[in-house]
Amino acid sequence: MADMASMDPEGMDGVRMTWNVWPRTKVEASKCVIPLAASISPIRRHPDILNLDYAPLHCRCSAVLNAFASVDYRARIWKCPFCLHTNTFPTHYHSITQDNLPGELYPQCTTVEYAVPSSVPGVGVQFDPRTGAPVGPPLPPPVFVFVLDTCMIEEELGYAKSALKQAIGLLPENALVGFVSFGTQAHVHELGFSEMSKVFVFKGNKEVTKDQILDQLGLGSSSRRAPTSGFPRGAQNGFQSSGVNRFLLPASECEYTLDSLLDELQTDQWPVQPGHRPQRCTGVALSVAAGLLGACLPGTGARIVALVGGPCTEGPGTIVSKDLSDPVRSHKDLDKDAAPYYKKAVKFYDSIAKQLVAQGHVLDLFASALDQVGVAEMKVAVESTGGLVVLSESFGHSVFKDSFKRVFEDGEQSLGLCFNGTLEINCSKDIKIQGVIGPCSSLEKKGPNVADTVIGEGNTSAWKLCGLDKSTCLTVFFDLSSTGSNAPGPANQLYLQFVTRYQNPEGKNLLRVTTVTRQWVDTAVSTEELVQGFDQETAAVVMARLTSLKMETEEGFDATRWLDRTLIRLCSKFGEYRKDDPTSFTLNPYFSLFPQFMFNLRRSQFVQVFNNSPDETAYFRMLLNRENISNATVMIQPSLTSYTFGSPPQPALLDVASIAADRILLLDAYFSVVVFHGMTIAQWRNMGYHHQADHEGFAQLLQVPQEDSQMLVKERFPVPRLVVCDQHGSQARFLLAKLNPSATYNNANEMSAGSDIIFTDDVSLQVFFEHLSKLAVQS
Amino acid sequence: MVAPVPPGAPRPNNQQYPGPPNFYPGSQGNSNALADNMQNLSLNRPPPMMPGSGPRPPPPFGQAPQSFPQHSPAYGVPQRGPSPMSRPGPPAGLARPGAPPPVSQPAGFLSNVPLNRPTGPPSSQPPFGSRPSMPGGPVAQPVASSSGFPAFGPSGNVAAGPPPGARPIAFGSPPPVGSGMSMPPSGMLGGPVSNGHQMAGSGEFPRGTQFPGGAVTTPQTPYAQPPSGPFPRTAPSMPPPATFPGAPHGRPAVSGLPYGPPSAQVAPPPLGFPGPMQPPRYGMGPLPNQSMTNIPTAMGQPGAAAPGGPARIDPNQIPRPGSSSSPTVFETRQSNQANPPPPATSDYVVRDTGNCSPRYMRCTINQIPCTVDLLSTSGMQLALMVQPLAQSHPSEEPIQVVDFGEGGPVRCSRCKGYINPFMKFIDQGRKFICNFCGYTDETPRDYHCNLGPDGRRRDVDERPELCRGTVEFVATKEYMVRDPMPAVYFFLIDVSMNAIQTGATAAACNAIQQVLSDLPEGPRTFVGIATFDSTIHFYNLKRALQQPLMLIVPDVQDVYTPLETDVIVQLSECRQHLELLLDSIPTMFQESKTPESAFGAAVKAAFLAMKSKGGKLMVFQSILCSVGVGALSSREAEGRANMSAGEKEAHKLLQPADKTLKTMAIELAEYQVCVDIFVTTQAYVDMASISVIPKTTGGQVYCYYPFSALSDPPKLYNDLKWNITRPQGFEAVMRVRCSQGIQVQEYLGNFCKRIPTDIDLPAIDCDKAVMVTLKHDDKLQDGAECAFQCALLYTTIFGERRIRVTTLSLSCTNMLSNLFRAADLDSQFACMLKQAANEIPSKALPLVKEQATNSCINALYAYRKFCATVTSTGQLILPEALKLFPLYTLALTKSVGLRTDGRVDDRSFWINYVSSLSTPLAIPLVYPRMISVHDLDVKDNEGAVLPPPIPLSSEHISNEGVYFLENGEDGLLYVGESVDSDILQKLFDVPSAAEIPNQYVLQQYDNQLSKKFNDAVNEIRRQRCSYLRIKLCKKGDPSGMLFLSYMVEDRTASGPSYVEFLVQVHRQIQLKMN
Repeated sequence: MADMASMDPEGMDGVRMTWNVWPRTKVEASKCVIPLAASISPIRRHPDILNLDYAPLHCRCSAVLNAFASVDYRARIWKCPFCLHTNTFPTHYHSITQDNLPGELYPQCTTVEYAVPSSVPGVGVQFDPRTGAPVGPPLPPPVFVFVLDTCMIEEELGYAKSALKQAIGLLPENALVGFVSFGTQAHVHELGFSEMSKVFVFKGNKEVTKDQILDQLGLGSSSRRAPTSGFPRGAQNGFQSSGVNRFLLPASECEYTLDSLLDELQTDQWPVQPGHRPQRCTGVALSVAAGLLGACLPGTGARIVALVGGPCTEGPGTIVSKDLSDPVRSHKDLDKDAAPYYKKAVKFYDSIAKQLVAQGHVLDLFASALDQVGVAEMKVAVESTGGLVVLSESFGHSVFKDSFKRVFEDGEQSLGLCFNGTLEINCSKDIKIQGVIGPCSSLEKKGPNVADTVIGEGNTSAWKLCGLDKSTCLTVFFDLSSTGSNAPGPANQLYLQFVTRYQNPEGKNLLRVTTVTRQWVDTAVSTEELVQGFDQETAAVVMARLTSLKMETEEGFDATRWLDRTLIRLCSKFGEYRKDDPTSFTLNPYFSLFPQFMFNLRRSQFVQVFNNSPDETAYFRMLLNRENISNATVMIQPSLTSYTFGSPPQPALLDVASIAADRILLLDAYFSVVVFHGMTIAQWRNMGYHHQADHEGFAQLLQVPQEDSQMLVKERFPVPRLVVCDQHGSQARFLLAKLNPSATYNNANEMSAGSDIIFTDDVSLQVFFEHLSKLAVQS
Repeated sequence: MVAPVPPGAPRPNNQQYPGPPNFYPGSQGNSNALADNMQNLSLNRPPPMMPGSGPRPPPPFGQAPQSFPQHSPAYGVPQRGPSPMSRPGPPAGLARPGAPPPVSQPAGFLSNVPLNRPTGPPSSQPPFGSRPSMPGGPVAQPVASSSGFPAFGPSGNVAAGPPPGARPIAFGSPPPVGSGMSMPPSGMLGGPVSNGHQMAGSGEFPRGTQFPGGAVTTPQTPYAQPPSGPFPRTAPSMPPPATFPGAPHGRPAVSGLPYGPPSAQVAPPPLGFPGPMQPPRYGMGPLPNQSMTNIPTAMGQPGAAAPGGPARIDPNQIPRPGSSSSPTVFETRQSNQANPPPPATSDYVVRDTGNCSPRYMRCTINQIPCTVDLLSTSGMQLALMVQPLAQSHPSEEPIQVVDFGEGGPVRCSRCKGYINPFMKFIDQGRKFICNFCGYTDETPRDYHCNLGPDGRRRDVDERPELCRGTVEFVATKEYMVRDPMPAVYFFLIDVSMNAIQTGATAAACNAIQQVLSDLPEGPRTFVGIATFDSTIHFYNLKRALQQPLMLIVPDVQDVYTPLETDVIVQLSECRQHLELLLDSIPTMFQESKTPESAFGAAVKAAFLAMKSKGGKLMVFQSILCSVGVGALSSREAEGRANMSAGEKEAHKLLQPADKTLKTMAIELAEYQVCVDIFVTTQAYVDMASISVIPKTTGGQVYCYYPFSALSDPPKLYNDLKWNITRPQGFEAVMRVRCSQGIQVQEYLGNFCKRIPTDIDLPAIDCDKAVMVTLKHDDKLQDGAECAFQCALLYTTIFGERRIRVTTLSLSCTNMLSNLFRAADLDSQFACMLKQAANEIPSKALPLVKEQATNSCINALYAYRKFCATVTSTGQLILPEALKLFPLYTLALTKSVGLRTDGRVDDRSFWINYVSSLSTPLAIPLVYPRMISVHDLDVKDNEGAVLPPPIPLSSEHISNEGVYFLENGEDGLLYVGESVDSDILQKLFDVPSAAEIPNQYVLQQYDNQLSKKFNDAVNEIRRQRCSYLRIKLCKKGDPSGMLFLSYMVEDRTASGPSYVEFLVQVHRQIQLKMN
């Protein structure tokens, strides 16, 4: 298992399942306790993926020709593995032979990517007469609308402005840029107006519809207003007709304008009453930005990049009153229904989400404030559009600064932000799709494969991913048809096909087809195969995602209890034991890590929400839902590496016992990375030994964990908070909070010198196990 | 395009004045004190002593002493003896000392003495031309000026010394050449002219009328019934037969009567004026106070006159306004009595001797009837015309500012009346009795002063508040709800397609650009600017920005201000940005294709931006507000479309379309925002609806229709400049208090009223007048004094809070005749005008006209019935003071507002213009001044810049002539069909009338005529404090018709001729008598 992690367990397909063999019936499936689910990374990069410059071949069931189709070369026909229908190859496939296969039929190419013509409405698909490759109309450039909060102190605004300037400098030259700033009112800057800076001002406390916004910006169909400035740009962007190019300009053209505009941009000039929060109309600003993008041609990839420095207090989307004596809602308030603004705000952001999804545009949220800004309310808009979210405490903090830069950077580290994705899932008969958890929204495409029960975005076999990137990950929940035959049929294999259509950063339309197969097993006979098909990490992550979802959607849901009972059921089902004899309890290696994952999940920020603000919880959960299994696993159960003299870095137990005076520990809790120096190490370092020539070894020891942590920081988005601390230092809590409290003040006297204890009443892993075995074996 | 006059340039003389084509009222004006400011501003006014400069002669002068018989020398007509004149001849002795009165006798008529008016044969020259050239000298002789009558003149007139004050009068002008020609002879024969119109003229000021001594008797025409054959009048003193040579002005009706029989006219016996009243006035002798016109009773149809028949009324003899003479000195009180004020348009210098200057407050009657019955019997209105910040004459003493320190001004503890010269101190000065409520107050300890032997406080003469009718008190904290507001100027400019394309935007920007330097200096001056089309564009003028930032408010249904600060910035901080911005606005919107205007929303948005401070909002609007808050529809066109249905409701178009703007206006007023609207349009803008905003906020509407980018920008600039530089105040509250027995009934003007007793004026300036109607609630004591006090609490542009207190104390009377003698024509007419204007939107037009006419008739009837001594029914007898009342009433019924042939917007504008109109401008509005231009360089006007005015009758318009007519707002330059090309060349630099461009711009060419004309126009501008919108009118095209529509003495579709009207009035009176 450990090997697998380092070996890219997702492979080229980017698909991991809780169970890699499937029970045949719904009843059997429910006995498996852990649901049938797949975690997919729809556009994960992989060097082996074949790029095909022609259009895919569809079966009439809409599945795409793939490596699992059985082909009759002579008859030039192929049989769809999903519907079993036989299709004839079209003429351009006529040269097909066993030795001359099109890429999608190579057995190892279970994932291929097609280049398809862009789907600009009104323009039919055309093919290059010579190559047969599809040729589309000119690609619409991506659009970035920056939305900047100005209700901040001068310093914060300064940070935000310089981040923006940097970002604009990094944008591709042809990318179109728009700018909205807001405070008490929302300002849409008309960048194409050459005479002077010109902004359209929207009142902060009034909800405006998209049509009103367009009309008021002079972009509406009913508006007879022509562009007031002559920017004869021709129609190359396809925007001329709507006049939106007054507001959206190619980055190369407006960089200077924006720079000077940002230089002059002041903090919100409206007075703030003493004892009050500034009036901040985040809601209106976002709906105005969304409305502005509504004037773009459909199919244009666009994102709203919002930099928010505090809670919305004005107009729609308000999350808290202006009076500072009213604190921003806490989890407790939400539980007790004592958050007067919450539901209304969620409803408002939900409407923005719907609008953005309909337009195919993305909302990215960069929230930096010491207090909450309303991520919990805005979550729906960010998540359903596949937007990015970064939460930090200041725009000057590296968590924001570096993350923000990453969004726009090119090259290896780039996030590969893509637009306008749609995901369709085809699956074998008897398999039903319950829904998807992750950054997407349902397209409400009904079909025989759609389950009645819904988890997450359900009731469909197609989803919209307005924004997606190479690390985007979705969790698909499956169910089995209750009418399916229990008898082992001829079809021993089940097939799942994920068809993802998207627009890459260059504006090219691509279609990726991933087809996977798994085996049906008759679990009523034996569970052995089933057990071997269990993926503990995936199962843990799926459980975490499911728990989070349930906590958000089910009233009075007791997550800990639910997790415990699930774990107990699982152990009862798959453990080996004698009834009522806890000591006899053992778990198969395929399951052995799972209880520990659950132990950590119960302690994690996902379940123990009361340690966090609703904003943080929302933030953590969004990332949990959109990251791949390995990363999500780290979120649940951080990894700990120990560095000491005379041995290479090695994984350490996530236990307080791992702390030693002469060790450096590196904790990766995903959101934070902690470099923890043991007492002795810290003392030596403070005395400066590492600067001395004869203590090069020490210098190196100090150096290595730093470098490793930098590696983590560099790869990850959002950039984790890096904490460097010493044993007994105040920052050490970042480590201690994650460790198994095997040593607490209750048993401190048993501990050896140099180790550490955690002041907690939480149970340790050991105690947890004891209880688990006891309960699992109960009859 | 406009060259500003260097500050400090002497303004006084025309001669010296370089005569820039454009006139800048008040260009200097940066001084620090309001008073100074006014002084400076008033430089524009005619310099004292300049003969001819006085706009209109004060009426008193107009009265010829009755005792002088007048002879009309002319043509051997038998003169009747001196007609009993109601006008005091101007005894020379009475003349105002200082001012040599230019006497302008036309053709040698004598002024004072009983003159006989020769009725001149019609000369081709307007008689007005004949100004006696000598100022000061008694002009006995006819000046050989242009008038054709010199010959006659001497004879009759000589007798009396020229009245000092005598100005040339417009006496009857000779009948127009054409028609008149034939008549002259007859005229001569007929009539003894009754008038002294000379006299009138002479002594008089402007009003001097043709009617000399008051009574003009027209010879009766032998119509059906010649009244008394030869009209012998048994006038006590002399019956000069007045014959009016009827000049048929193409109107057969009147003309053609043989005047043959000189009729004797009887002047009503002079009503004895109690000595005190009369004598002092302007050097006139006791004034007779009535005028008479003989009117044949049986006026037949106008057409009845047989050709060749004698006209019954000589149009040249009937009362007409004259022109004024040089300034007189007016003491507000003499012999401890109120002194009736000179005519509002005359040139006078006030000495405040206890009562306020009539510029600030004048009453329709200078004595107060003791009972309501007496008042209603008189048929006159009792009202005050209050103009609290009116400009004073430069020679007048500035208003004194009194600071009572912490305690504030001394006031009556019961009615809160302010201390004034009429509060009576008793008990050794320890107490004083309030002259309003009669309450006895304790004198504040630190204000105590012993009384002298005369019963007055010993310090009276040192304390302005005890010896002056007008003083200003420094307001204490008690009078402030907040710190005095800064001077805030917000400009709102239309940049819709239309505005840009017609050049209106450029003109507005340019004008604003130029007036920036006229805004008060210093940190208290704030400026903001916004433009609008279908959206509203604000500009952040903060200095930190490299360039202004344009902030657009696109939601015109629910507007808001885009910034709380920085939209309105200290002028010193944003001058550069502002200039840059004003330069670029016209080009910035060059491509604009927005045809719509969100005027209402823009005003609202600007208001929101100004709300915290208040201030002046100046809006430049070019098209009908079509979108957003307060959007309007093209009601006029709709009204025209279904004319038949809309006929009855025609006046509805003169009412605001709905309440939206009114509600908004009240809110604006509440936050001390005053809105002025400059309408630079080519089309209907629904003036009736939009004018509600300025009206309610103490603002003003300026109209440039149709806007011409060529000729209007200078006026726009000058209007804006005057608007900003004229003396004015902000956040004002005004209340008028009256003595017991009288109370305020209603206020009328541009203001907002929230409580019954006070009016709120977000801004008030020197041009704005408020009419205050009064009513009795008790009887007054005969001989007692009734006082009126107007208190205006306001903030100066320099941020000082002041209370201007204006007190007028008049004596009460039980005598009807006293009321007529004390009637103030200007105020009476202003009152009638305002009431009519006020009613037009809510009443059917015929009703309004009828009311005006009736009110005129009622007064005349009352006089006829109770005061006139003449019994003949055939005579129309007019009280001297009101002798021009019929003429003005007629003019009113023919004025723009009361006609239906014009644009609805023009009428609405007129109605709105009238509501705040000052008294001196009331009469010119309906009875404009007309002068001839073509002969300006020929005639010698004794150094006067302006020739005497010509009566507004087409018979005085010659085809060879060029005339200029002005009403204080518009100026019409009329060019006849066959004007000498040399004159055209001189005036217009083109050889023929056809080549004069229709969009006329006044220019000065290098010749005497052009120079004189420019001087004359500039003089008028100065007098009116208005740049005048000069329009060229050519005979034969629509503009010519427009010009002729001002000839109110003609018979037109909208009403009878002057003579006909007099006949009508007379008949009505007769009916009533019977």
